[in-house]
This record gives sequence, structure tokens and C-alpha cells, in this order.
Amino acid sequence: MDVKEIYQKYRRLVLGVISLISLVALWEFALTYVITYDPFFFTTPSYIIVAAKELLLGDRLWRDLAVSSHAFLWGFSAAVIIGIPIGAVMGWRRRVEYALDPFLTGLYASPLVALAPLIILVFGVGLTSKAVLIFLLSVFPFIFNTFSGVKSTDQLLVNVVRSFGGKERHLYFKVILPSTLPYLVAGARLAIGRGIVGVIVGEFFASSEGIGFAIAQFGDTYRLPEMFVGIIILSLIAVALTEALRKFELIIAPYRADMEIR
Amino acid sequence: MTGVVNFYRERESSILGIGFIVLFLVAWESIPLWVSLPKGVSLFFTTPSQVAVKFYELMADGTIQEHFYISAWEFVVGLGLSIAVGLPFGLIMGRSRTLDALLDPYVTALNATPRLIWLPLLIIWAGIGVWSKILIVFLGAVFPLLINTYTGVKNVDRVLINMVRSFGAREWHVMKIVVLPYSVPFIVAGLRLAVGRAVLGVVVGEFFAATKGLGAMIARAATAYQVDVVFVGMAIFMGISLIFTFAIKKLETNLSRWRPEQVKTF
Repeated sequence: MDVKEIYQKYRRLVLGVISLISLVALWEFALTYVITYDPFFFTTPSYIIVAAKELLLGDRLWRDLAVSSHAFLWGFSAAVIIGIPIGAVMGWRRRVEYALDPFLTGLYASPLVALAPLIILVFGVGLTSKAVLIFLLSVFPFIFNTFSGVKSTDQLLVNVVRSFGGKERHLYFKVILPSTLPYLVAGARLAIGRGIVGVIVGEFFASSEGIGFAIAQFGDTYRLPEMFVGIIILSLIAVALTEALRKFELIIAPYRADMEIR
Repeated sequence: MTGVVNFYRERESSILGIGFIVLFLVAWESIPLWVSLPKGVSLFFTTPSQVAVKFYELMADGTIQEHFYISAWEFVVGLGLSIAVGLPFGLIMGRSRTLDALLDPYVTALNATPRLIWLPLLIIWAGIGVWSKILIVFLGAVFPLLINTYTGVKNVDRVLINMVRSFGAREWHVMKIVVLPYSVPFIVAGLRLAVGRAVLGVVVGEFFAATKGLGAMIARAATAYQVDVVFVGMAIFMGISLIFTFAIKKLETNLSRWRPEQVKTF
């Protein structure tokens, strides 16, 4: 009875873990005993673990991660610093919204990644071009989420502050900021995903260091186990960042928990 | 005079919107007239009119069509595959709690990571032909579709399902009568996201390993300092994305008037 209850409670977790373990086991077993494979094209979990140990103990992987996160931080901070004010002004002043909305929506909806070769041409191979690409991709979620947040501020609250003699400054910090914050965090979550796309594309295309470059290089030299390690580490980082922000979203705005902001 | 003012008041949003875009293009076009660009910069510089002329030239000699067909083929096949896989899996995961729990770790992990990191592996497996691009388009587009279908199915009104069940419906009927119609708006929203991801897949896939296709055209033009060609390719991708996005958005608003407005996502 007890076991059954515990199973019912953690059913999802148990099934998920079972499914992961059995996939890895099946993969290992099938490629070791059943199918003879070409090591150029496939690999097995045991080789990946060996490669992971080697890479995690060595310093190349850490250096690559440091290089990538450096570029990411620059691009992402620029997106925060430039995106939020634009979005706030768009949400607060109707005419600015009218003027900028079609233009920025057009840019947001189009694959700006297509400009990557040009950006690399202009800014050269290295940190700057990567940061510019990351900025370009991750600024729009900030603009549009700040915009929606400011715009959806409850007009009643604004009026209340005004009628009790609140100054503009009170309006901004007591009403608009708290109501925009959940949108901002949701925007940051989207921006992280797009920023990582920027890192990967920038480093695949023209780079000599960074996690994206490492993955591409392992691919080019047919070192599949190492490549899988790179992919898994980048996935873990992406999942950790995204899930942390999702949790943060729930903490700062529990009342929006059922609202789906993608 | 009041006539003009009224005319402006009624159409203020579109006048300002179009006005800004026109202003932007005019400003861009006139930069060479205001400042004489140093030689290093003019190498990277082009104006909208030059881009338009180049677009016409490339159209006339068939270069664009040649690349466009390849890209379009990759886009259509990849997106088609992702619909064929994403919808059924979304429906099944939404209806079966066991399968949901079994597949969820993979879906969450793959969805949170940009699928572009699989590109080098796909190139090893599928070569540098169209198939590696089709696969990367598929990988990019399948998750938004799957997850939105899943969310749609999960949001289905329990009362309706119980109702249909008590009249003796089997799982198949429940799907057909209740679940599918109910999740259509979600699926369409997923499709909008999927189109964006698919275009991204085509562009990036063709950057790295391709000799044909619009992405390859852009990459090659950039290395040859043909900036106008880069912008021609960019403009085509932009046009296609905008057409698809707004067509689907229109469909979405028609299908889901009852849903509250949501934040813009592409």
C-alpha cells in the first residue's frame, strides 16, 4: 500500500527516469552486441562517459565555455539595457508605439540570423561579432515583453496613485514596474534561448574558440563522443537557465502561474 | 484643414507606422549623400536602392529562383515531416499519462536547447545534401507543434469528454469530436512558431554545408563582399517569414477570439 502510494505520487519522475535509463541501456547494448557500427558515424554511451571525464578534467572545455559566456554576457546585457527602455517608451507613449511597432515586429518576425555572415564580415572574427549577433537576436523579446507589460498595467491602479497625489516616480516604481516584472522575466527566458542560438551560429560560422566552435570542430574531426559531451553540456546549461527563470517567474508572480506566456 | 486633421486622426497608427519605415529607408539611402564614407566602410555598405536593383538582376538571370527552389523544398519537406510527427505525438502525450511521463524528459530537454547544435551531427549522418537541412528544419519545427498540441489537449474541458464518454464514445470518438476541435487554436499557434524555427533551420543549415539554397547564397556573397546580395537574401527570408507569420496569425485570431490576448512570440 505504502509503496503504491509513493509510486502514485512520484509516478512521473519514476517513469521519466526509467525511460532515460532504458534508452541509454538499449543504445549501449544494441551497438555493442547487436549491430556492428562504424565509429565514424555512431558512438555508445560508455565512450561518451569516457570522453566526458576527459573533457571535464581537462581545461579546454572550461576555456571554451568561458569564452562563450563572455560573449553571451556582453550581448545579453546590451539587449537588456537597450531593449527595456525602448519597450517601456513604446508601452507608455501611444505615438511611439504606432511608429515603432510595425518596424520592430517586422524585424522580430524575420530570421535576423541571416545577417550573421555580414556581421562577421564587418566586426571580424571574435568577441564583438558574436556579441552583436547575440544582442540582435535577444533584444526583441525584451522590447516586446516590456511593451506588453507596461501596456497591460491596470489603468485603475494608475488612477488611484494619481488621485492620492502620487508623483510620476511613484507611478513608475509602485505600479508599472511590479506589473511589468513577470513579463520581463518571461522575456528573459525567451531571450536566453535566442541568445544561445546567436552563440552557436556565431561560433559555427567563424570562430576559433567557444563551445559552439568546439562542437563543430569535434564534428569535423569525427570525434563523436566528445561532440556528444559538448551537446549534452550545452543542453544542460540551457535547461538550467530556462527552468531557473521559470521558477523565478512563479515566485515573483504566483498569481500568473496559470497564465501561459511563451 | 479639419478634413486633413480628421484624416490623420483616423489613421494615425498606420501613418506613423508606415512613416517610420519610409523614414528609416530614406535615411539609410541618403547616408552616402551626407557623409563621404571611407573606403573601408563603403566596402560593407549598400543602400536600399542598390539592393532593389540587385534583386531585379538576380531575378532576371534566374539565380534567385534556382536557390529558392532548393530552400523551399527543404522548408516544405521538413515542416511537413514535423507536422506528421508532432501532431500525433502531441495528441498521444496529451491523452496518455504514462506515455507523457515516459517521453517528457526528452521533449523538455530537446525543446529547451536550440536544436541547431545538432547540425554538425546531422551533417555527419546525412551528408551536405538537402537531407541534413530537412532534418534540422524538422528538429526545429517539431517541438513547438508537439508542445502546443499537447497543451491544447491538456486544456480540453473534462466535462465535454465525460459527456461524450457517457454516451458510449470510444477513445477515437473522443479524439475526433472533442479533443481535436478543441486544440485547433493551440495547434495553429504552434504552427506559427514552427514556421519561424523552420526558416531559421533553412538559413543556418545552408550557411554551413550547402552549395545551393538562399542561405548558401548569402554566405557566399558575404565572403565575396557582395553586401547587396546578402541583403537581397535577407529581404527574401524576411518577406517569406512575414507572409507566413501574419497569415497564420490571422487564422489564429479567427479561430481563437475567445482567448485573452497574448504576448508576441515568434
